[in-house]
Amino acid sequence: MSTSAPRKRPLRAFLSDLVRSPRRIRDAAWRVGLPTSDRARSTFVFGNVFLHLHSVRTHRWSLRWSTTWGLGLAATAAFLVVLASGVLLMFYYKPYPDVAYDSIKDIHFIVPTGRFIRNIHRWSANVMVVAVLAHMARVFYTAAYRRPREFNWLVGMALLVVTLGLSFTGYLLPWDQLAYWAITIGANIAQSPRELTDAFGITPWFDPGGLQRELLLGSDIVGEEALIRFYVLHVMILPLALGALMAVHFWRIRKDGGMTRPWDADQRLGPGHDVYPVFTEAPQKTYQLAAIVRGTSPAVGRGPEHTVPSMPHLFYAELGVLMLTVFACLALSMAWDAPLKELANPAVPENPAKAPWYFLGLQELVAYSAFMGGVGIPAIVLLGLGLIPFLDREEAGTGVWFGGPGGGRLALASLGFGLGAVLAVEAFAIRFGWLREWFPDVPQLAITAVNPGTLLAAVYGAYSLWVVKRYGWARAGATALFTCFLSGFVVLTVIGTYFRGPNWTFYWSPADWPGH
Amino acid sequence: MNKNKHLLLWSSLGTLVLLAMAAVQENYLKDWRAIQASMHTEAGPTEVRLRQIVAPRLRVTDRCVTCHVGMAPGEQGATGHVLAAAHPPVVHDPAEFGCTVCHGGQGRATEKADAHGDVRFWPTPMIPTRYAHAGCGSCHTHVQVPNRTVLNLGRNLFERHDCLACHRLDGRGGTLRPGRAGGMEGPDLSNAGARGFDQGWYAKHLRRARQRDDIAWKAGFAALDAPDLELIETFLATRVGAPRLIEAKALFHTLGCRGCHKIGGAGGDEGPDLARVGQKDPGQLDFRGVRGEHTLANWFSEHLRDPARVVPGSKMPRLGLDDEEIELVTFYLLSLRRTDAPEAFWPKDRIGVTRLGRREFGADGATLYSTFCAACHGASGQGRRFPGAPPMPAIGNADFLAVAPDAFLRSTIESGRPGRRMPAFGEASGGLRRDEVDAIVAHLRREAGVSEPETPHDTPRRVTADPARGKPLYERHCAGCHGPGGEGADAPALNHPVLQAAATDDYLVETIGRGRRGTPMHGFRQPSTMHPVLAPGDIEAIVAYLRTWEKSR
Repeated sequence: MSTSAPRKRPLRAFLSDLVRSPRRIRDAAWRVGLPTSDRARSTFVFGNVFLHLHSVRTHRWSLRWSTTWGLGLAATAAFLVVLASGVLLMFYYKPYPDVAYDSIKDIHFIVPTGRFIRNIHRWSANVMVVAVLAHMARVFYTAAYRRPREFNWLVGMALLVVTLGLSFTGYLLPWDQLAYWAITIGANIAQSPRELTDAFGITPWFDPGGLQRELLLGSDIVGEEALIRFYVLHVMILPLALGALMAVHFWRIRKDGGMTRPWDADQRLGPGHDVYPVFTEAPQKTYQLAAIVRGTSPAVGRGPEHTVPSMPHLFYAELGVLMLTVFACLALSMAWDAPLKELANPAVPENPAKAPWYFLGLQELVAYSAFMGGVGIPAIVLLGLGLIPFLDREEAGTGVWFGGPGGGRLALASLGFGLGAVLAVEAFAIRFGWLREWFPDVPQLAITAVNPGTLLAAVYGAYSLWVVKRYGWARAGATALFTCFLSGFVVLTVIGTYFRGPNWTFYWSPADWPGH
Repeated sequence: MNKNKHLLLWSSLGTLVLLAMAAVQENYLKDWRAIQASMHTEAGPTEVRLRQIVAPRLRVTDRCVTCHVGMAPGEQGATGHVLAAAHPPVVHDPAEFGCTVCHGGQGRATEKADAHGDVRFWPTPMIPTRYAHAGCGSCHTHVQVPNRTVLNLGRNLFERHDCLACHRLDGRGGTLRPGRAGGMEGPDLSNAGARGFDQGWYAKHLRRARQRDDIAWKAGFAALDAPDLELIETFLATRVGAPRLIEAKALFHTLGCRGCHKIGGAGGDEGPDLARVGQKDPGQLDFRGVRGEHTLANWFSEHLRDPARVVPGSKMPRLGLDDEEIELVTFYLLSLRRTDAPEAFWPKDRIGVTRLGRREFGADGATLYSTFCAACHGASGQGRRFPGAPPMPAIGNADFLAVAPDAFLRSTIESGRPGRRMPAFGEASGGLRRDEVDAIVAHLRREAGVSEPETPHDTPRRVTADPARGKPLYERHCAGCHGPGGEGADAPALNHPVLQAAATDDYLVETIGRGRRGTPMHGFRQPSTMHPVLAPGDIEAIVAYLRTWEKSR
């Protein structure tokens, strides 16, 4: 066709091409035309940049709601909502002290649906934090972190840290009293290694705390430098980091063999009515890829009868979770306004000044030792969490809720122990005070070493070791430790949020606070 | 899969409903849209749109005019709604200054409660309408005002000399020209203090009264003597268009609140500085002891009624003010505010006071005394006693002034009695200048009709008696009121280093000898049923004993 002859009736041909062009554009976009058969759908999923992260077929076990409760996806969905609303807010927000507060007020009052958009941004960020934590708990209690998914567990932890970082950096941007003093506390916690260096008298030469604080704030106080730093972190660096880590996280789900399921998942599921043989359609592509995927691929060994095409089965589930999350975020935003207090005023400290709620458990410990509460305990917890998949090398109970030795009863018992221990330590400290109240001259180093936080960590650690010994399984110890830390986190967060008033004194109700 | 389809369907529908709700809320349910829709001008219905006044240099973005449409620039003439009313005529054009600079409130807001500041977390709610002129204080808090007596003297002179026949003042007076149609003879003086007035007005009036032959001038203007002229001019200088605020400030300068409270650096330091007290955030105040509404104005009123009920542990005494006085002092307190507007916007009185050393209280001795001293020493220096506290000395007492040299009075005012209740009012600590202290001393002497005592001896320390002989005498006759160690109880402390340094021996001897009539201090030279008469040597022995405390301190 190098020298094509002029077409007959060129105008008519042009017209018919014009008429057909919308369909052709569609076909070009869909690459293989509208998928109508399973095979075409598989090809479609495989050939689509956004969908090919999914396997073309999904195991029925993965589609059960109780397998994941869609928590990881909910976190992703919340992130997408945060992203979209955040981009809208960026058009109006001005990252400069005082002007920032005015721009938030403008968003609230005159930007069309601006108040709604800001509410969505605020509440979906909280939904995201909750979903990430719940997702982590789900992965833990179904023992889904085990080989070969250890690394993905670590990536997940990194995602948790970045998620909290995103939330925290966003906290300062409204430049109100709430933001200002929460970040002041955060900056003081960043400086808390001084508690150690001061105790050893080496701060003038070695001052990692001061350096951390300066890196965070860019100045001695929370001011314009801090605001622009937090802004850049919040709208660029951390979202990019989160996106990159999310890509790794999702990629590893595929590479590590999809959702975890018990080895006897097929028997547990029983025969399914919507399941039918896969390879009867004379596949054009074979599953050669499976050869480079570790573990057992869906199509090999167990027979194909318990997988269903991802399109549409998985996609309905995913879209369902996505829209449910969107709905939840919107409903929250319709019901409650995002908090906004007075313009930041460095001369009038908030009392109590509280960090964002997910850090209030730590702030509760910071009240005794800034270093332990802000750096020591979180480091211990992160280290402990990170080590779990490398210490638990067992296989019993993988993919089943509370599977393995001890099961749900051990988890319940650990919950009881964890709650009891944290409530006892807190009640004691609230009622009788701590070392500083008894011995006013005690060196801070002693309190750094012995405080409710370290005491709790030690008690939880000892209990978990005892559980390992009692059951003879590392998984049992991990269950005990994780449950204890979870209950400690919840109780401390609740106390920090609802029961702490001015000067971090314990009050049963804010109505009892003096001065209000 | 069907369950998931349902989940997708219903959550998507729910999302759509919520989005539609948000759109409806945004476009149809805003109050200001309904308000504007109900208005119309002669040209037709008012355009429904957001209105605002922006004054970047004042950091003002006021959307108040979105509802108060009649006050928006160029929007006069709308009708159909109470909010279509135009702003009453004022010196400052709202189109230039915005609304919040004077009225407070949240200018960026577009909903009533938020805009009026009746919400949590808005520290500067609107000033209630009945105190509206308190907003003037944001810029004009430095207008010079004398005390009530001086102000009323000026007002009375103004009225007695029939100035109201020709001039209008604060809504009164200003008759029509006799024999001619329309128009007042003289200008309206309600803003004379703000705009300033011709310093030569009196000479011109006098000339015209001599030259003109119409009856209004011939009969309406008579010569004034110099003190009256000064009082009238002082009064006129306070006519700035906010008569009640001036009344309130004059009362404040009468009650002597600055004896304990500083404003702009001048005053005592027993109580908190009041310079910005009108800007207090009601959200930060404790309303548990306050009856009635939780507003700053009511907090002030209740606090003035009974300080210790509102602020537990407050040292401030109950002043026994009546309702009208409480209302006025509250008014003035609300006006104690400072904008952070750029200096280019400062009025001349603020520049005058903060840069050129002028004063916002009257410079006459009477005003200075009542502004700084009257709360404790009484309106006429008769002394005062508040429940639960030792009495304050009667410094207007003629017996006291007859023995106390001016130097002693001056040094007492300037140095105070550190550690006791009398603050130091000298320029470094209390902000009073030497000439102002002198004016207060002169005022005391004028009121009591007592000139400075002649000092019988040139040396301030002349007593050489034996303190050991004075000790039992002191313990018998003085310790009951002045305390066994002279530390003061129901009577002033005698061991105070400032007193010891300032008081001459003559002063002490004469005070003991003559006593102070009208106070519990007896004169020990006079015969009395209460105590024996002391010989001059005995009195000197007591003074010698008093002097022993000078070194021990």
